Amino acid sequence: MSVLTGKELRIVGFLCNWCSYGGADTAGVGRFVQPTDLRIIRVPCSGRIDPLFIVKALLNGADGVLVSGCHPRDCHYSQGNFYARRRLEVLKHFLPVLGIDPARFEYTWVSASEAQRWQKVVSSFTERIHKLGPASRLENTALPDGLEKRFAAIASGELPSDGKAATRLEELKDRIHEFLPDLDIVIGWQRGFDALHNTPLFMRSAEDLEKLVWGPLNIHNTATYLPSLRGKKVGVVVKGCDSRSVVELLQEKLVDRENIVVFGMPCSGIVDLSKIDRALRERGTGIGRVQAAECGEKGVTIKAGGQEYRFAMEEVAADKCFHCEYPNAVLADHLIGNASPSSSNGKISRQLAAFDAMSLQERMAYWRSQMDRCIRCHACRNACPLCVCKDHCIAQSRDPHWISQEDTITEKLMFQVVHAVHTAGRCTECGECERACPMDIPILAMKRQMNRAIRELFEYKAGTDPEAVPPLLAFQAEEKNIHEGVL
Amino acid sequence: MTGAKFLSKEKLLDWLAELGQTRRVFMPVEEGGKIVFRPCTNGDTPALVRDASASPKGVVFPSSAELFRYTKTKARGGKSSMELKPGTEFEPALIFGTRPCGARGFTIFDRVYTGGKFNDPYYRAARENTLIVTLACEGPENTCFCNWVGSGPDDPTGSDVLATPVEGGFVLESVSERGEALLESPLLQPAEARTAEADSVKSRARAELPPARDISAAPQSIRALFDNQKFWDEVSSKCLSCGACTYLCPTCYCFTITDEDHGDSGKRLRSWDNCMSYQFSLEASGHNPRPTKAHRLRNRVGHKFSYYPQLHEGLLACCGCGRCIRSCPVSMDIREIVLDAIDRVQAKNCEVVHE
Amino acid sequence: MRIGVFVCHCGSNIEGTVDTAAVARAALGFPEVALATDAMYTCSEPGQDAIVQAIREKGLSGIVVASCSPRMHENTFRRAVERAGLNRYMFEMANIREHVSWIGKDREANTNKATELVRMAVEKLRRNTPLFSNKFDVTKRVLVIGGGVAGIQAALDCAEGGKEVVLVERESSIGGKMAKLDKTFPTVDCSSCILGPKMVDVAQHPNIKLLACTELKSVGGYVGNFQVELRKKATYVDWTKCTGCGQCMEKCPSKKSEDRFNERIGVTTAINIPFPQAIPKKAVIDPASCRHFLKGKCGVCAKVCPTGAIDYEMKEEVLTEQVGAIIAATGYDVFDISKIGEYGAGRYPDVITSLQYERLLSASGPTGGHIKRPSDGAEPKTIVFVQCVGSRDKSLGRPYCSGFCCMYTAKQAILTRDHIPDSQVFVFYMDIRAPGKLYDEFTRRAMEEYGARYIRGRVAMVYPQGSKYIVRGADTLLGTNVEIEADLVVLAAGAEAAAGAPALAEKLRISYDPYGFFVESHPKLRPVETNTAGVYLAGSCQGPKDIPSSVAQGSAAAAKVLALFSKDKLESDPQISRVDIKRCVGCGKCILTCPYGAIKKIDFRGEPKAEVVATVCQGCGICTSTCPQGAAQLAHFTDDQILAEVNALCRF
Repeated sequence: MSVLTGKELRIVGFLCNWCSYGGADTAGVGRFVQPTDLRIIRVPCSGRIDPLFIVKALLNGADGVLVSGCHPRDCHYSQGNFYARRRLEVLKHFLPVLGIDPARFEYTWVSASEAQRWQKVVSSFTERIHKLGPASRLENTALPDGLEKRFAAIASGELPSDGKAATRLEELKDRIHEFLPDLDIVIGWQRGFDALHNTPLFMRSAEDLEKLVWGPLNIHNTATYLPSLRGKKVGVVVKGCDSRSVVELLQEKLVDRENIVVFGMPCSGIVDLSKIDRALRERGTGIGRVQAAECGEKGVTIKAGGQEYRFAMEEVAADKCFHCEYPNAVLADHLIGNASPSSSNGKISRQLAAFDAMSLQERMAYWRSQMDRCIRCHACRNACPLCVCKDHCIAQSRDPHWISQEDTITEKLMFQVVHAVHTAGRCTECGECERACPMDIPILAMKRQMNRAIRELFEYKAGTDPEAVPPLLAFQAEEKNIHEGVL
Repeated sequence: MTGAKFLSKEKLLDWLAELGQTRRVFMPVEEGGKIVFRPCTNGDTPALVRDASASPKGVVFPSSAELFRYTKTKARGGKSSMELKPGTEFEPALIFGTRPCGARGFTIFDRVYTGGKFNDPYYRAARENTLIVTLACEGPENTCFCNWVGSGPDDPTGSDVLATPVEGGFVLESVSERGEALLESPLLQPAEARTAEADSVKSRARAELPPARDISAAPQSIRALFDNQKFWDEVSSKCLSCGACTYLCPTCYCFTITDEDHGDSGKRLRSWDNCMSYQFSLEASGHNPRPTKAHRLRNRVGHKFSYYPQLHEGLLACCGCGRCIRSCPVSMDIREIVLDAIDRVQAKNCEVVHE
Repeated sequence: MRIGVFVCHCGSNIEGTVDTAAVARAALGFPEVALATDAMYTCSEPGQDAIVQAIREKGLSGIVVASCSPRMHENTFRRAVERAGLNRYMFEMANIREHVSWIGKDREANTNKATELVRMAVEKLRRNTPLFSNKFDVTKRVLVIGGGVAGIQAALDCAEGGKEVVLVERESSIGGKMAKLDKTFPTVDCSSCILGPKMVDVAQHPNIKLLACTELKSVGGYVGNFQVELRKKATYVDWTKCTGCGQCMEKCPSKKSEDRFNERIGVTTAINIPFPQAIPKKAVIDPASCRHFLKGKCGVCAKVCPTGAIDYEMKEEVLTEQVGAIIAATGYDVFDISKIGEYGAGRYPDVITSLQYERLLSASGPTGGHIKRPSDGAEPKTIVFVQCVGSRDKSLGRPYCSGFCCMYTAKQAILTRDHIPDSQVFVFYMDIRAPGKLYDEFTRRAMEEYGARYIRGRVAMVYPQGSKYIVRGADTLLGTNVEIEADLVVLAAGAEAAAGAPALAEKLRISYDPYGFFVESHPKLRPVETNTAGVYLAGSCQGPKDIPSSVAQGSAAAAKVLALFSKDKLESDPQISRVDIKRCVGCGKCILTCPYGAIKKIDFRGEPKAEVVATVCQGCGICTSTCPQGAAQLAHFTDDQILAEVNALCRF
């Protein structure tokens, strides 16, 4: 049993019980003729509709999804549709990054008395989906040739920072030294197993403090550890981007302000180890063979396999640093050294530009090829400073059973959507998810797309104001930038 | 025993194609800057300059394997019956291009799944039907420590054929009976003239590895620290509790079993599990004997360097490939933890002696 | 689980375009379905009995009925399932009538769709769990909002039923629109003579607490346990002292205050008792025109008040009341006739509304019951009534019929001829709508007995000519244009939702239609209930109504309240959210987004966790879609249940 071949397409509807389901009933009672494609799932309120239900449907065979609730201000539960409007609008902006035509999803408002309007909504939405035709399926997409070349052609732009690494290490050490006796732990960085790999450092004593290092190899977001250290007095050394995560955690009351001491270091960019690896491979060696590395004003000098290689920061800096608005801590108890200049140039990231340049079909195919190598280690999630569910993430839960153990590309992609949706309006684009991925899957693109939507719709940037409420946990009765109701 | 054979670089793909006539051939290929094992298809070239990011274990022990499918069928009169269909049968396979550490990983599996009282039919079928052509290493990476665990850049353990890269090709030596047959291909030439060169490649590689640290005290030391929560808290501080290390590890063999239902049918899956995850030891009651990442890291390190060797004649459940170090998002170094544990216990013992 | 599926023919309603037998056959193949059958009328007694019997005989543990909308019969079937010993939530409905058979005639597509909806219901049912209600106490007090005739009736009936009533009225006196009327149709009896005693009853009833000059500020809680905040406006007169003697009004030097009771047809004093029969009969100062407030000096009323009741310093107060039920009886507003420029209302003083005309007819009105033109006080001889002003007019966004205008226009025509026997009365009408007891007879009398001249057609414009007004319209029966020289033009202004009705609806969490009228639960079967349990409707707030209907609704709402209060304990809806404490990470996002404040932070072994307050939760599920780890789950609409429905549709 499936859709009537050639006649119907698979259209799933989510209707609130009080208004739209009643409206559909009224339309039935009034014998308002409608197309037969739509299958309606009744929910108490449009606010109950998790955007992930819609993605689940669209990734699993739906050709279109229609949501309908009470008109704004007329919600049976007073506010449900206000929340729904924000979440669904954000979803609409997000879908294209997956390669799903946003026209396949629509939300609207129909009251219990609007039989005729319901008829119109169903008819025009069904017509729209028929015009779009059957949706392409993730499993069946094929990547066109030459995509890599097109990507490479998109320039990453300049790194506007002055390149002068703020080497204020001694000052930082002095400051930490001063406060360490009152703190249980101070989180910073130290040299790791080789000259290129730094690693987070948990300082408990003056002896530990000697291991502290500073520079573009301090790639990890130290804020990630804060929620798990709740209850302890914790000092944390932050780059600008790390500080935004601290702000976000404070905002969500996941850390206690009185228990953390923030040491802000001006940042002039960090390296992307994958880029260094790629550059070294092109030169016949690899990151695994690095013998020495030095980061200086001119960039990174690496000795590997007996040879010396020099890279300008522009060649190896992390993508996020090319348009960094906050190189200095947004929030700090102690700011060390002079502020770094911002490199924000209003441009979107290279990665997002690459996505914009792809067709929807290509985007879907691209994810298919990328997600294929996901090993489901969830490093993306665990490295995310805002994934505070971690142990209770729905990715591994059997109840609710959002994601199965089947290692299909759809299930793997679904998890990435879960991550993007759950961090929508909270994500500061620190990039830890993508950096942590042992398979180098470009998952930050999804968050970037989400953040673009959040910026455009709510003029909001996460992690800048500890007093703000994340936009998807709030609403306005009149939304300035949401113009719904095209149906 | 057949002597060593020479395979010229130009003939490599032909040889793989020839092998592909009777079995599925997997080889390391580059994808998005990472190297993964994929079925060998026309046009692909293997990525052989360095070890694969993923381990070869997935070929024999897939990240998610269908054990069987079930369908509930209803007969007239309301009686229903369950119909079981076995999962897809394992088709013969060959892994080309794993490094010795990756091949050695299977021997850790073997002892658990086929060696003792318990015999895992799925694993056995896959393992017995998989041949491994291993590529000897020419030089180590910073994360390599195979020599610490009794292996080395030319360790043939677990392999069927060992291929050593030489100028213009590879010297192939069979290291198992099954490997013998592989060397009978007309595409291969006798390699007498090249064996010396291969030997020198191997010894150079061995020499390039930094000297092995003595970790023979690891099993006792880690055991002694079992209840030292402070130690494990400290060494696990920066751990993110993700599963990158275990899923990439050639020796991590843990799995979970789930039924994925759909309507009246479903499948039973065996999927990789990961002891760094909270769910790994979560009990139905909600109690979790390993509630923190410190407990879980203790298990991972302990299992590899203490519990397993104690059950398996001192054999460490680690092949020294360094994937867990290389791919760790926060550059955790298992070598450091093991050495730290040994040092800690030694220091304590010294204190005791002094007293 | 053993599931039984019953596919209903609904006579030919479903069977006509759905092959129900085929749906039942297909359903038999669905998971855990042990029995599937089609039936003529599942909701009928034999239909329900068949379900009960099947549960008992076949040992079924869950039931799916594929028939009409669950909004129609979900409760019917839940009771049937319960009769057979199953939990009422082990039941699902597939809506194959309103959503299938009634919206298309393609039998193949309909049968296919119906089958899929049944599959969806089966898959959801497989994940249902028995749910159990909790019992909670009922506060047996009712809040009646609005003291018009509907509210008065509801308040009196509840009070007579022995329940305490809090009656709030925005104005300084109850009585509403009816108190402004001179006579009522079709009996032409005196409005204040029949309403007045009821108003006095309200004032004197020991069970009624009357709060005039008071508005609803906020509503919290739920059926049986509402907490309402009321805003008592400053009257500047201490009502505990005011005796309503009226001396202050006599002496008040500021006589330019807007006379709202008299529909602004005249002016009144700044300190005012709106009309002689006002209940409560208490004075109120209008600070917008009082000299004390405008100029800072006067104080005449304070000087003359024999009881010293004047208090210029009085402040607004907020009162809190606990009630178990709320009746909204907020009435309607009269359409603003100045919106129709062609008729000149607002510009021409002698173009007035019918309610203003009512005040001119009233003996207690500004003219003492003599019909006088507002412009010059002259007695009009030619009076033109225009019906459907602001009714049945799409261009004004008022496509509905206000219902009572035909009748009161007939009444006013009769009264005009009674007052001024030599007058000429013209009525422009579209249709005469008089479908009530003695109503049509009444309009006939206006025409036949009283000689009112009814002209079928609309008025195009009204313009002044000398001291008269030319009313230009069409007589569509004769097909000619008509021009009448009138002394007074009375516009039968339609009813519109009271100003602020949508805001009140939002506070009460009830629905309102596009015009602002409140929406009842079911247009036929539940006319005074709303979709919010414990909130009822009476009178014109639900739609335009005449007096008998308003009174009937007032009594009906009171009957609903009394029935509700006849129970000492109410059962809570178990379809509420629950937090799995093991999964909760205490992030508080659910607390932030719950519209009811129904989730609180608790401490569980030193960890912050969320907990749902079962009696406060209304079951919207916002927390469930907010909680990232799925710890908060709305019972009966859990993630797994909805996912099962999605998968049933997408993955087959």
